[in-house]
Amino acid sequence: MNAPLLADVLFWLFAAGSVLSAWRVFRADSMMRAAYWLFASFVGVAGIFLLLGAEFLGFILILMMAGEMTIMVVFMVMFMMNPAGLNPMTMVHQHRTSIAVGVLAFLGLAALALFADFPAAPVADTSRATAELGTELLGGSMLVFQTAGVTLLSTMIGAIALASVRGRYGDAEAGSTEPQIAPEGVGRGSHAMPAAKEEPEMDEHHGHLGHG
Amino acid sequence: MSPVTRAVLGVVGLGGSLAVLIYLAAVLDRVIGHRVAQQPLRWSAALALPAREAARLVLQQRSRTERSDAEAWALAPALLAAAAAASVAVIPFGPAAAVADVDAGLALYVAAIALVMVAVFLHGWSPNSVYPLIGAYRFVAVTLSFQVPLALVLLATALPAESLSVSAIVQAQDGLWNVVRQPLGLPIFLATGLGAAFWGPLALPDADDLAGGTRAEVSGVPLLLWRAAQLAVLVSIAAMSAAAFLGGWRGPWLPGVVWLGLKTLAVLVVLLLAGHLLARVRQESFVVFGWVVLIPLALVDVFLSGILLL
Repeated sequence: MNAPLLADVLFWLFAAGSVLSAWRVFRADSMMRAAYWLFASFVGVAGIFLLLGAEFLGFILILMMAGEMTIMVVFMVMFMMNPAGLNPMTMVHQHRTSIAVGVLAFLGLAALALFADFPAAPVADTSRATAELGTELLGGSMLVFQTAGVTLLSTMIGAIALASVRGRYGDAEAGSTEPQIAPEGVGRGSHAMPAAKEEPEMDEHHGHLGHG
Repeated sequence: MSPVTRAVLGVVGLGGSLAVLIYLAAVLDRVIGHRVAQQPLRWSAALALPAREAARLVLQQRSRTERSDAEAWALAPALLAAAAAASVAVIPFGPAAAVADVDAGLALYVAAIALVMVAVFLHGWSPNSVYPLIGAYRFVAVTLSFQVPLALVLLATALPAESLSVSAIVQAQDGLWNVVRQPLGLPIFLATGLGAAFWGPLALPDADDLAGGTRAEVSGVPLLLWRAAQLAVLVSIAAMSAAAFLGGWRGPWLPGVVWLGLKTLAVLVVLLLAGHLLARVRQESFVVFGWVVLIPLALVDVFLSGILLL
């Protein structure tokens, strides 16, 4: 098998795999499956990057998406009112709008693929894609990328500050203590540790327990 | 050679040497465990032990759980093994001789280590059971704390080589190994490597306090595969330590492959010893340690390596 034919076979494998797994994202009824089908789709795209000679971008895409999809699973589980996210749930809703948007997006991309004039610029075997990318990042486009980098960093620091236990609006645990089940502070949950410390004496506890 | 022949040869060679190294790692683990417990084991017995255990697991009944995600559960050990194999593929065993001698070899290695997280998460999520799920979440919580310093100290080794190719990194250690040139590198890589292989002190997703964590519900062949794949990740960490910090295939008299094997085994012994001697670290304190100590130290390593080159 010669190399161009092999490249063609691999391209169609990656492309078909990418589209198939993207379709599976919306057929899955589990958040974990949906997220990792999307990851599989990205791995297909990364494979096409490799075929184009952009090794670094391909591997970095897999590296970033492995982390991002896992974090997406965890966040989806946290946001959905679904115990540990283990119950099945559907990934499709607002059918009419999404069908319309999907058809429009497909037509737009198909028109682009058919009518756009793509340049035929084969890359030489000797070109050092990673070195060129590094020169671009730290040369001509340095200001753009550094600005984006600083913006992202400040966003991350802001998010950490908002989520931090010692946030500027006080203790993050403050609103999260369990409600009292019985009156007079009997049967408080373990989250109420600061409040429990304020209890004057152990004897008092015994007294309450006696009543309860 | 045609690309297909090369690919077949590469896969067979990689699989074979990885299988041998996994078995050796299992034997060494038993030997070290018995030495630490002051009950020395005869080598003949030690050599047979992993095979006996494997045979027992092959014959063992597979446990099932209610409403598990069977496909993802079956995929997890395969994905872990594939990630380990892909990461080992970039390690050169001679001048410009690796199964996958790619330009961005370090990026491939780090991406493969990131796939370990996906495999562990699938393994913990799929059984639909409490302890495995906690193990999975725990691994997601600590992953970034070891992956970032691991990637940073590896990047520092790429600076003197002026290339992300692992072959070039070994070539650049002509005369002076990176373990001397970048003294912070190897200790940080080994500490974070234990996290990547979730081994010993950093066996957080599969910890004993979670009744085995993600493997609490696994038995039989899937358990055997999972443990072998985990050892493969450990072997990959040892092999990368040898290549990136200990001069790889460089050494006098003996052929390069032998030197790489000896160095890999030496690092493997250190990692296995750590598994038997060090206590398990709690995930909270490890995350703090990772972000407050390991990542700044790794950045210092990168800066120092850069300054040395100016």
